[in-house]
Amino acid sequence: MKIITPKAADLFVVFFLASFTLWYGISSWQVSDSAENLILILPVGIIALVLCSIEIINQLLGRSHPIESGQPVKQVLPVMSLFTAYVLSLEWLGFDIATTLFIAAFLLMQGERRWVWVIGYSICFGMFMSYFFAQMLPYPMPMSIFPTDY
Amino acid sequence: MVDIIDTVAIAEGASLVFSSFEPWLVVIPGIILGLIFGAIPGLQISMAMAIFLPATLYMDFLEAMLFLTAIFTGGSFGSGIPAILMNIPGTSSAIATAFDGYPMAKKGEHNKALGVALGASCFGVLFGYMILFLLIKPISGFVLKLGPSEMFMVILWGMTLIASLRGDSMAKGLLSGFIGLLIGTIGFSGAGVARGTMGNEYLLDGVPVIPAMMGMFAASELFKLINTNYLVEDQDARKVSVKEILSGFKHAFSHPWVMLRGSIIGVFVGAVPGVGSSVSNLLSYIETKRRDKDPESFGKGNPKGVVAAESANSTSEAGSMATLLALGIPGGGATAVMLAAFAMHNITGGPQFIREETDIVYAIIIANFGQVLILMVLGLLFIPLLANIVKVPMNYLVPSVLAMATFGSFGLTGNISGPVTVLVFSCVGWVFSRLNYSIPATVIGILLGSMAEDALLQTYQISGGQLSYLFDRPMTMVILAMLLISLFGSKVTAMLTNKAKDSANA
Repeated sequence: MKIITPKAADLFVVFFLASFTLWYGISSWQVSDSAENLILILPVGIIALVLCSIEIINQLLGRSHPIESGQPVKQVLPVMSLFTAYVLSLEWLGFDIATTLFIAAFLLMQGERRWVWVIGYSICFGMFMSYFFAQMLPYPMPMSIFPTDY
Repeated sequence: MVDIIDTVAIAEGASLVFSSFEPWLVVIPGIILGLIFGAIPGLQISMAMAIFLPATLYMDFLEAMLFLTAIFTGGSFGSGIPAILMNIPGTSSAIATAFDGYPMAKKGEHNKALGVALGASCFGVLFGYMILFLLIKPISGFVLKLGPSEMFMVILWGMTLIASLRGDSMAKGLLSGFIGLLIGTIGFSGAGVARGTMGNEYLLDGVPVIPAMMGMFAASELFKLINTNYLVEDQDARKVSVKEILSGFKHAFSHPWVMLRGSIIGVFVGAVPGVGSSVSNLLSYIETKRRDKDPESFGKGNPKGVVAAESANSTSEAGSMATLLALGIPGGGATAVMLAAFAMHNITGGPQFIREETDIVYAIIIANFGQVLILMVLGLLFIPLLANIVKVPMNYLVPSVLAMATFGSFGLTGNISGPVTVLVFSCVGWVFSRLNYSIPATVIGILLGSMAEDALLQTYQISGGQLSYLFDRPMTMVILAMLLISLFGSKVTAMLTNKAKDSANA
């Protein structure tokens, strides 16, 4: 079952882009209506809105172009959610633990059942990358196991 | 000619470089560092140069410059490696490399693609420094004539051209670019007010550009690869072959005009501070596609696309060095670090430097000819190691690259805004690619948005709001004409040809 038809998704995105353009233009106008502030935003915003209108007309008249084939949405959404959880947990779990858990969870999600590989690879990758970047970067990173000033 | 080339200084420069082996000792580690930092997504050439800048304190000025230019040279090529193997351009100058390099890798032509990139890069660096050798003074004069109106036109040219690449829906392509430009202006404006930040302090400096680029290009592509087994499906095509890398290297030279055109675009557009290398690789790619007999094959794994992009971005190094040496203006992050090295050695770049230290300038240029040979050897040793990426199963590669992009983005911003930007733009990129929007156009828009705004604002201030000012700037009008020709030239020609045919038939 499809959550949303491709045509509706296409139309929704154009409306979203038009709404973003309008919101950004109006909020920029509200903070300052000087030429210095609006010199690029105003003309570019107007052009973007015109292009959105053209695209909406194209889609309503059925002249829109087909959606590129790709992975089904239901296969991508769990991975996107996992990646979101990983990024949002970085400050809480630290790069070392969060990365290890992310890699392990991803491998399990993709059907890897060799536990030695899942545990071994995720720990080695997570720890090595965390140590490498912690040594290379000039500022502290959030960590749980490695020492940090974050 | 006598005025342009100073033969005495050349002889002195050559003697500085070749009289002892010492200057060369720093070149090999410099190129290796550049290759490593360029090849790891998220680590930047400028970051490598900044990290190792303190080491140059213990070197004399020439050695310091050779070390830093070696990192620059290695990094310029290195950033093309993840563009080809993972669709992650290490820097904005490698965006066009991914257009055909990645499809080549997916077809199992990763060895050839990497070889082609190395060949075109070596030629580009050599050609660029050759032009610098002959024309450093005229180039610096040319750059001095470029004002903000020309900068704005170059930005607009690059962005609209890339937007028009989306042949099936130009409206969507242009919309992607203009939305990118708007996103690029988020944060503090020249008027000192914050726009579109929604009260988020991380956005005051604008959307972090490179993490956005990583999200749009890499993460969105990785989401599409879920449930595939390998980057290259055919097991026989997954092998790493030095022979094929070498044949790719040679193949690059079978398109001399593509390389030459890319290099000429690279050296002159690359000299434009700020936008040079980001735009030159795109212009070269688009020109090559436009002039090719089979433009439809581009974007599907045509080696000429890789040649065009790599020859232009490698030559841009020489272009940006011209502005640094002759004018003391850094064109980007890497040359800004070099300017810091100038300061550390109490040297000021600019016309006076060129006049008084001509031998050093020529020594740097001559040493870079040698660096090409070293890059060739080290590149050929290094590529087979990296090409093994195609042998890694996708269920291991996808989370590893996503995690690397996350680490790298934190490295770029120093706070959590980098990883969050990667996350947000990976989702945007995935939606855009599914619905046929142009990801490169959006990225270029984000990359150049604030720069375009500054250039337009300066033009407005200089002209006092008079449009006639633009007509007094021949270079602006030339770039505008080229922009219009590139956008509509082929359509107008086709229309005229059809009309001529119709009238002939009538």
